[in-house]
Amino acid sequence: MVVTICIGSSCHLKGSREIVHTLESLIKEYKIEEQVQLTGSFCMGECVKGVCVKVDDKSYSLTPGNTKEFFMEEVLGGLKDECH
Amino acid sequence: MNFSIDAAYKSLNKIKEELCGDKVELLKTVDSDIMILADGMGSGVKANILATLTSKILGTMFLNGASIDDCIETIAKTLPVCQVRQIAYSTFSILQVSHDGQVYLAEFDNPSCIVIRKGKIFSLPFTERVLENKVIRECRFQAEQNDCFILMSDGVIHAGVGNLLNFGWSWQNVAEYALSAAKETLSASRLANTLIKACDDLYMQLPGDDTTVAILRITQARSIDLFTGPPYNPEDDTRLIHDFIHSQGKKIICGGTSANIASRILKRPLVTSLNYTDPSLPPIAKMEGIDLVTEGVLTLSRALDLIKQYKDGPVDEQFFEELDKDNGGSRVAKYIIEDCSILCLFVGKAMNEAHQNPSLPFNLSIRLHLVDQLKEAVTAIGKEVHIQYY
Repeated sequence: MVVTICIGSSCHLKGSREIVHTLESLIKEYKIEEQVQLTGSFCMGECVKGVCVKVDDKSYSLTPGNTKEFFMEEVLGGLKDECH
Repeated sequence: MNFSIDAAYKSLNKIKEELCGDKVELLKTVDSDIMILADGMGSGVKANILATLTSKILGTMFLNGASIDDCIETIAKTLPVCQVRQIAYSTFSILQVSHDGQVYLAEFDNPSCIVIRKGKIFSLPFTERVLENKVIRECRFQAEQNDCFILMSDGVIHAGVGNLLNFGWSWQNVAEYALSAAKETLSASRLANTLIKACDDLYMQLPGDDTTVAILRITQARSIDLFTGPPYNPEDDTRLIHDFIHSQGKKIICGGTSANIASRILKRPLVTSLNYTDPSLPPIAKMEGIDLVTEGVLTLSRALDLIKQYKDGPVDEQFFEELDKDNGGSRVAKYIIEDCSILCLFVGKAMNEAHQNPSLPFNLSIRLHLVDQLKEAVTAIGKEVHIQYY
């Protein structure tokens, strides 16, 4: 699974760095480094919906506040679905 | 001769003095660059006035084509006479480098100019003559690529006298130190800073005299091409990238969307990292054939701040530490300050809709305003700037 976080100007100002850090530590905590690749991208062209995050090809709009929720549902949840 | 001139100077004031008794003037005529260093007798206000008058008179007269003989006569007749010593006195050095590479150097009572050529101290073919009872040393020769000229006041060679060193630093020691320091950097400003730092250390931070170094380096003309902002009309993307990539300089792209455009047209992948070397700036990215790829306005604002700081001077060690940092802003600023004589900007005028969002901490539509400020600051630090809008 590839999780891409927009680090363009607008998303940066809306907190993409904090989201990157939260996701990094959650991935470590749940020991899923092998299954999830975290990567950055310059502007994804959806600044209005920032912070833009993509899980494979699906787009999400995150804030630092709902990052953990997103991780539980989409990242951990997504991995479970992949296993089944 | 295809070269550019990088000149900078730095001074230490004598302990407890608010004004420096040394004065440096950097001037440009139509066909030459001139650097003048004057050291007024005594210290404080009096020395400052003598040195300022001397350097300004020399500069103004030289700029208008007067001969050295006329300049010296004028100085001798106009400098105010010291009540205590009954003489009017200020030493000086004049260095003129013409665009065809001819060098003219004239010195009166200052330590002799250090010239570094091809990693060695170059000894100068001085001749002496007497003008208005002053012995003037002069020489003319042809400059070569990478020559480095160091003018200094006697505070430099006296650094440490009677304290750390019995007889001070001596010309030979300064020259050898400068030789090794000059190998470390191509920047005049950084070299001036290194030399002055060494003097300050020898004085144990209590300078016994006004101390100044003024450096002029001849470097190859180097250009930088910087692309920022998508074109107003997307049909112009290809034309912009074509112009940008076929220009001669090192390549920098500042802007996420801009980098994506370059990646698409050049068919080269853009690799972003998540390595935050500075918490307030987005990380930099990599693309084959492009020397530096960064985010846009935040990075450019940071770079502009550093360039303005450099312009307003004087810069110190902390400044160079900041400039050497591995974040996008520092790296852009370092390229422009130390590795560039001609800056070519390729600027797209598109507005980013999302940047108009009033909830953002500041208005990100400031790109064009930033470009204007960048042009002003970079021109002020003696570089040529060309802007092409799309």
